[in-house]
Amino acid sequence: MSLISLSTVGVRVAVDGHPDPKVLLQDVTLSLAERRIGVIGANGSGKSTLLRLLNGLVAPTEGTVTVNGLDTVRKVRSIRQQVGFVFTDPLSQLVMPTGREDVELSLRRSVRNGTERRERADAALDRFGLLPLADQSIYELSGGERQLLALAVVLAVEPDVLVLDEPSTLLDLRNRELLRRTIAGLRQQIVMSTHDLELALEMDRVLVVESGRIAFDGDAAAAVAHYRSLCAAGLEVPHSGGAGSGDAR
Amino acid sequence: MRGHGFLLANYVAGRSLIHRTPLWLKFLLVVGCGMASFLIVDWRLAAAALTLMCALFLLSGAGPARLFRAVRPLLPVLLAIGVFQWWQLGAPVAARIVLNVLLCVVAASLLTATTPLQRLLDGVVSLARPFTRFGADPERFALTIAIMLRSIPFIAGAYADVRDSARARGLERNPRALVLPVFITTVAYARHTGDALAARGLGEPEDD
Repeated sequence: MSLISLSTVGVRVAVDGHPDPKVLLQDVTLSLAERRIGVIGANGSGKSTLLRLLNGLVAPTEGTVTVNGLDTVRKVRSIRQQVGFVFTDPLSQLVMPTGREDVELSLRRSVRNGTERRERADAALDRFGLLPLADQSIYELSGGERQLLALAVVLAVEPDVLVLDEPSTLLDLRNRELLRRTIAGLRQQIVMSTHDLELALEMDRVLVVESGRIAFDGDAAAAVAHYRSLCAAGLEVPHSGGAGSGDAR
Repeated sequence: MRGHGFLLANYVAGRSLIHRTPLWLKFLLVVGCGMASFLIVDWRLAAAALTLMCALFLLSGAGPARLFRAVRPLLPVLLAIGVFQWWQLGAPVAARIVLNVLLCVVAASLLTATTPLQRLLDGVVSLARPFTRFGADPERFALTIAIMLRSIPFIAGAYADVRDSARARGLERNPRALVLPVFITTVAYARHTGDALAARGLGEPEDD
């Protein structure tokens, strides 16, 4: 299993019209070695920023992030060979007109021979049952097929770590279940953010992110319970200001 | 997103003679048709060359619908050019210019319809290889071409979507309601594409 380390990591971004930078993540120190790691939290809490750090898509403004000892900023190319990243919306990820062409694009760096590249692409598609759709436009695929294709594209280069940013958010129940089973069968170390708490409960370790900090880090059941209590505490029903608030006319 | 039906690099799988023709020969054909724009001065010759190219396209098995989809977006522009040239220089010159442009488009479509995109990119890499001595990365050349081929139909699709939503709000005559959203969508698309490529390590320089 790979070892992912974050040492006092912070991410801040400048915002137009504001003198102080916006804090996306602060003071995060983690050592991740489990096989299945879940990340849960509210929208805008910093989950995606945390995941993007692992693949070098976001560079920390403080601290360091390493995967198997490789710094994600200085060894970005090696990191991206080792850490695959699956986006929420597969259409943001797929850049070629058809699935086969997209998988082949992923393989261009590692496989120079065109025939071998095509065979490897077909094998990657076949693994997910997508070979019959290989030459179909990505816009003609269903949401589930697209998400599986996005997985096939990333796994074609055999990364050690797979980072998934809310992969089931846009899927219906059937495709969500298909994706869950597919992910469960992978040999890679998984780091996945999700709003699906049932899926989070299947993880070996779950991080709860709240306002750019790790609010809880532990086993799945305790983390989900903590997140539920955070959500419940944050829910305040707005008062309509009806009884007793009216002014006399 | 609509508008993706017109894909410049829409490969049509097949085993025709044109599919099996070496890539360099198809490249030469496209370059030759580009040169024809300067060399052919008789509109009848231009018409004959275009007929021959259309026949080759249909022989490839890609079909008349694919051929029509390739030229359809250009028809309003060609009509405008044709009318202007006819007014300025007469009918034979106008016909020659329009036919020559169509010849180039059909030749380029023949190349993309009968060559898988990755094979095309391999060709671009081979062509760009001599520039490695000047520090160029041939794979980046190929990636640039691939992204360009992918982006043009996307932007066309974004325009179609924005036009429809402007029409739904009765703003179809407001240029701001058309241009600004297309611009924003295109910038967002560029950022997403950049992220997608970066996440896969494509186009990245070697580590120190």
